[in-house]
Amino acid sequence: MTGAASRRLPAQAGELVDRSRPLAFRWDGRSYVGLEGDTIVSALLACGVDVFSRSFKYSRSRGVLSASFVDPGCTVQVDDEPNVRGAHRRLAAGMDVRPQNVWPSLRFDVKTANGLVGRFLTAGFYYKTFIKPQRLWPAYQQVLSRFASGGVTSRQNAHGYYDKRYVHVDVVVAGAGPAGLAAAVAAADTGAGVLLVEEEYELGGHLRFSGEESLSTLSELRAQVAARPSIEVMTDAVVTGRYDDNWVAVLQRNVGGAIERLVKVRAGVLVAAPGLIERPYVFAGNDLPGVMLSTAVRRLVNLYAVKPGERAVVLTANADGDAAVADLTRVGVNVVRVLDGRAGETIRRATGRGRLQAVELEDGTVLPTDLLVTATGWTAPTSLINMAGDRPVWNPTAARFVPSGDGLPPTVLATGGLVGDGSTDELIAHGRAAGTLAGDRAQGRAGGGVPDLACEPHPGMFRASTHGFVDFSEDVSSKDVVAAAKEGYDSSELVKRFTTATMGPSQGKLETINTIAVLSEATGRAIEDLGTTVWRPPYAPISLGALAGRIFEPTRVSPMQGWHEGHGGVPLLAGQWIRPDHYGDAAQEARNVRENVGIIDVTPLGKLELSGPDVPRLLNLVYVNKWSKLAVGSVRYGVMCAEDGVVMDDGVTGRLDEDRYLMSTTSSGAATVWEWLENWLQTAHSDWRVHVTPVTTAYASINVAGPKSRELMQRVVEGVELSTEAFGYMQVRQGRIAGVDDCVMWRIGFTGELSYEMHVPASYGLHVWEALLQAGEDLGIRAFGVEAQRILRLEKGHLIVAQDTDGLTRAHSAGLGGMVKLDKDDFAGKPELAWHERYGLATAPRLVALQPVDATAVPPEASQIISSNGDILGRVTSSRMSPTLGHGVCLAQVDPAVAAAGTVVTIRLPGGGDIRATVQEDLAFVDPEGVRLRA
Amino acid sequence: MPDTWAPVARSAITVPGPRSVVDGWEVSTRRSSAALRLSDASPLAKVSVRADADGALADAFGVRFRSSRRRDGVLVIGSGPGEWLLVGGVGTAHQIAGQVCGLVAGDFVSVVDVTHGRALMRLTGSDASRALSKVCAVDLSDAVTPEGAAFRSSVAKVTTDVIRDDAGGGAGEPSYLLHCERSSGQYLFKCLLDAGKEFGIEPEGPGLDSTGAR
Repeated sequence: MTGAASRRLPAQAGELVDRSRPLAFRWDGRSYVGLEGDTIVSALLACGVDVFSRSFKYSRSRGVLSASFVDPGCTVQVDDEPNVRGAHRRLAAGMDVRPQNVWPSLRFDVKTANGLVGRFLTAGFYYKTFIKPQRLWPAYQQVLSRFASGGVTSRQNAHGYYDKRYVHVDVVVAGAGPAGLAAAVAAADTGAGVLLVEEEYELGGHLRFSGEESLSTLSELRAQVAARPSIEVMTDAVVTGRYDDNWVAVLQRNVGGAIERLVKVRAGVLVAAPGLIERPYVFAGNDLPGVMLSTAVRRLVNLYAVKPGERAVVLTANADGDAAVADLTRVGVNVVRVLDGRAGETIRRATGRGRLQAVELEDGTVLPTDLLVTATGWTAPTSLINMAGDRPVWNPTAARFVPSGDGLPPTVLATGGLVGDGSTDELIAHGRAAGTLAGDRAQGRAGGGVPDLACEPHPGMFRASTHGFVDFSEDVSSKDVVAAAKEGYDSSELVKRFTTATMGPSQGKLETINTIAVLSEATGRAIEDLGTTVWRPPYAPISLGALAGRIFEPTRVSPMQGWHEGHGGVPLLAGQWIRPDHYGDAAQEARNVRENVGIIDVTPLGKLELSGPDVPRLLNLVYVNKWSKLAVGSVRYGVMCAEDGVVMDDGVTGRLDEDRYLMSTTSSGAATVWEWLENWLQTAHSDWRVHVTPVTTAYASINVAGPKSRELMQRVVEGVELSTEAFGYMQVRQGRIAGVDDCVMWRIGFTGELSYEMHVPASYGLHVWEALLQAGEDLGIRAFGVEAQRILRLEKGHLIVAQDTDGLTRAHSAGLGGMVKLDKDDFAGKPELAWHERYGLATAPRLVALQPVDATAVPPEASQIISSNGDILGRVTSSRMSPTLGHGVCLAQVDPAVAAAGTVVTIRLPGGGDIRATVQEDLAFVDPEGVRLRA
Repeated sequence: MPDTWAPVARSAITVPGPRSVVDGWEVSTRRSSAALRLSDASPLAKVSVRADADGALADAFGVRFRSSRRRDGVLVIGSGPGEWLLVGGVGTAHQIAGQVCGLVAGDFVSVVDVTHGRALMRLTGSDASRALSKVCAVDLSDAVTPEGAAFRSSVAKVTTDVIRDDAGGGAGEPSYLLHCERSSGQYLFKCLLDAGKEFGIEPEGPGLDSTGAR
């Protein structure tokens, strides 16, 4: 620390800080007070703190360089958030700000030792040193990771809130300096909708810190923007990318409760108006805290009323440097020397321990100073026009890359400092013309021309006679670039990758030109021949949270979900459905179904209403069995196979009326089957008169199962005769249940018990559910969950498609061969199933029931069945302990060689060890004759 | 056993606040005067109609895919090619279905009452499109989605029919009807409340007249 002396200046015109609102915060464990409107760094500078970080490789002390978002030395940790741009982020009360990438402390860091051996740590050192021996890499990795920069996050903290927004707008203006503001206003005046995006917290660009005349122009421009409701303004937001068809990515920070928001914009025309970024100068000691760019000085003085030093040396090669001199003088800084780059003057080096203490001039003069300001040129951030197809060209007169003007689509325009130089009025005029053209083009009009904006001459100043840093983020020096060139990395793209220059958090905005200029010097090739690296998205860093946005994971619930939750239902996520797995004791629930009566919520079962005279043709096409003679009032079990004969779904379909059917599918297959039917109807059989309406959730579906289910039904059903004779197995009826009309009920039995599946209009689902429980109280009724149903169906030997079958299981291998009717005209999968029946059966796996010899054993699902020499002969697809029978019950896919009833097979358990199990005669363990089912 | 059952219908959407049974539906009676409101409109009758996209029924409705209009107190929505959704007053599904069947005799038309199978909600307020644009990528500008426009798209990853229906929203503000499959209704409702939080959104119960308008 340099003591507590306040560096806060008296009020400055255009200052952003509010002196009536002090904000207390912590830095590196100590308490400080800043002002509302301060950035973290301006607040600290005002308190006399001027070192904010240690550099990436040599751990050198770093302070302010640009006092903007890209400032490489001002990255800090704020509370749990790492990598905060301290020269951009607004101070907030209570912030706990810490330096990152320091150990043990900012003042003393052990990695400083790297600096002492720096000449051995040239570019490529890591690549060359740690590649061999390869077996040591894990050890290297452990050590090197301690040297990586990047702060820390706590895994305990909750995920931050991020979201997204979609915008469709005529014109997007990226950058709200004078040209961008004028472009937005002009575009709006053509009738276009405009989105104006500005990286800073307020509009204006450099007009904000360029004197009273600029402020007056700015307030006029701001008023023009405010007066046009068709301009939406986003501040603290940045256009991070431009993609095909003008989809423009905008990152908005701290908006609507979100930390970051990705705004996905479809823009008619994009106007790039990013202004210019001031370029650092390369010389020994150019990274010392106290060495700053002229724009940094002007921001600190004019926006935050902070005195950047006491005794200054200024190297200026342009008007902005001159203006910085004026600003410094005005606020009482002792400007001890001004060196004019335009007249060939320069400096040799800066010196100091940990911070700037003196500047040495070319003639050897040493000037003690705590502030060295450089104004040696500009970088045009050509990122967005690069992404749109332009390849920037070197303008040697202006000593910067400028848009080539070729390659841009008509939907992308550039204006302002990116294009050229001029007075504020000239920049505004250019912006206005570009905005008018953008608005016209976006609305389908040809539009007029845009005046030229020429670049002013600027001396080409890149490096002094000494070597210094070209990349402050990555600690790449001009020496590294020269060394890389000597090693043969002699193009800008190669040098970038070998030295990592321009690859750090500043992403080339400060470094690119100096890197190429030093490379030019080292290779003797002109900068225009070397060209610049390609700027790719994102222009500014974007968090993974913003890319993800809200996590949309739709969930589905039945009308009875509230009841399940209130009665101890343990949730099971099945696809998108949340279902009750059990209510505490699945085995007891299963036993109750066998003994009394149970009800289960089967709403997720897929349901499709089929109507039209050609429904039987459709059913015959998609099911392997026959459907032509299904009578009104009957249901039939059907199996669907894909064209390759593989089982894709099963379920029952009932004929409700002459031309009206209700098809049920598996819960997970509902969407697939709907698509499957529509696909056949819309492509192969568009002449068939069939309409398919998905009604899965139009009905709440409840399965009533158990020997007492008929008795229960009699208490709640009106208008339907329930006797076996009147309403037999595999029949369907429509009627009233518990006072609710339009219910469908069919007699089927997945559980193997006498059971009725009722489909009631979903809004009445809870009413009917509760009515059943009330009506069946004396019958011992009890709700059962998915687990009990799985036990019951397994006891009955009923398969589940995709559990007991897989992506290769043809109908015959699922024990469904008898249903395949090859004498039908045609159906999906027929050719393959015909082939399979003729040639494939001898080798195809078969579905069998297995009973472990040890009654207490239940092999986990997916356990392998093996031969005596260890070959795999199959696998267990389903397994449970049967509460009804008191022993394990399994279904398995096995090789035909071991499929015969009575065969004893060996099952290898996943955790090791083998058990033996006997192949059963029938798939059903309980009631193989189906007596209970048909009761 | 009760001699007569008293069935109560319940929406897929739970809106906080006091509840009462209106027209056989248990609903929240909560009303909101917030600038942005999301109301449950699920009790309204909903009828799905399928017919030839350019046939006699399309002519009789005067509504094609992507548009909607009110006709005799029923909002007729062209929700897909050859697919319409009709929204009417609570308990009128059978009546609507009967009317549709009477419109064109002889044509192949399917009419299915989906009142209970779908969730319906209404988002109303000057910031309605801003909130919706956080969960739906479709251009909601007047040029592309004017009053009466209807489209089916992903809203918070749920397949949703969206209908621009300022007229039905009352108060001359932008208003959207959102219609999705029932079991996702509560999820979609929550997502819209989340999206509208920055605009001060509040949920409210039904309270709709027979035209589907407030």
